[in-house]
Amino acid sequence: MMRNLARNRNVVVPLLLTLAVAGAHAQEAATDPKEALQQLLSKALSVTISARVLPSDTQGDTAIWNAESTKLTIPGRAIKVRLDGDNVRIYLLCTPYVQEDGEVLLVAQGQVWLTQPTDREVKYSSTFYSIPLSFGEKVLFFPLGLSNAEEQSKDFYNIELEIKIVPYEEK
Amino acid sequence: MCPDREILSAYLDGEIGPPWDTAIGEHVASCETCRAVIERLEKTRRLLQEDPIGDWKEPMERVRRAILTRVSPLPRPIPAWRRQVSLPLPLAVLAAVLLIALGVSSALSIARSNIGFVKITKAPAGGTEYQFAVPVDKVEALLKSVGGGDTSLEAVLTLPKNVKLIPVGAPRMGKENEFPRKKP
Repeated sequence: MMRNLARNRNVVVPLLLTLAVAGAHAQEAATDPKEALQQLLSKALSVTISARVLPSDTQGDTAIWNAESTKLTIPGRAIKVRLDGDNVRIYLLCTPYVQEDGEVLLVAQGQVWLTQPTDREVKYSSTFYSIPLSFGEKVLFFPLGLSNAEEQSKDFYNIELEIKIVPYEEK
Repeated sequence: MCPDREILSAYLDGEIGPPWDTAIGEHVASCETCRAVIERLEKTRRLLQEDPIGDWKEPMERVRRAILTRVSPLPRPIPAWRRQVSLPLPLAVLAAVLLIALGVSSALSIARSNIGFVKITKAPAGGTEYQFAVPVDKVEALLKSVGGGDTSLEAVLTLPKNVKLIPVGAPRMGKENEFPRKKP
């Protein structure tokens, strides 16, 4: 009987050790940072923000100025764009969320700080939108409002920001 | 050739049937050695029949006491957690190394969970839950590794000079199709 016990120990102890090591490896694999980052990367989003200054007259879509910025982010992490002008500073904060159905929920906050030559004060306005959209669908933001050619003189310009969100694709 | 003692004993007890009993009888009659064996067996049987064993309790008790005085008392059973396991040295060293590796691995795992790294789990509803217990620079490094160049999440664009930007209404935001383009 004692011999059987000793034989059993010789089998059981290495077996337990093997299982323990295998368990440790499995645990490590589950929390492997590289794997976690790779998974995170698979969820990464590319957010492109194009800013344009458009004349308000009937010249149409011809922008007198445009700039574009593409940022990589992950769902729930905001992209911030700041536009600096002579008398205006515009902030746009875009936080994309990917919903269960694969659609995107864009939570956007716009802030405008504006001084006018005739005023000695700073005007501030803030706006907040939550827009469900599909990947690649464009969202437009007019921080200073949207002028109408019939109502405004030719001296005024529209400033528009275009937001486009697509899944990140590894090159 | 003489039959062995067991056969002779069986013969004496009448357990050998014909024709072997006749053959053994003839052999015993002619063999002095077998006859002597038969006589000893008969004598033993006679003694047993005439003088059966008397009171056996006293000798038995004497033997029991003798055994008890010579044999040490039975060891008390040892609990499983106090039992000693003897292992060959290489196996013990291997076990120690593995245990240390396991401990270090667990400690690192705990440390990582405290320090951070990204944990992504599938929510029961089917969605994906992101838990960020990660220093910001780690995510920045990740984004830098895949995005290259500018890693900040803030972009600064400078508007053109000499363009009069004045508010013409409330800020508006919506999907592109909500703001039809003007036709030239």
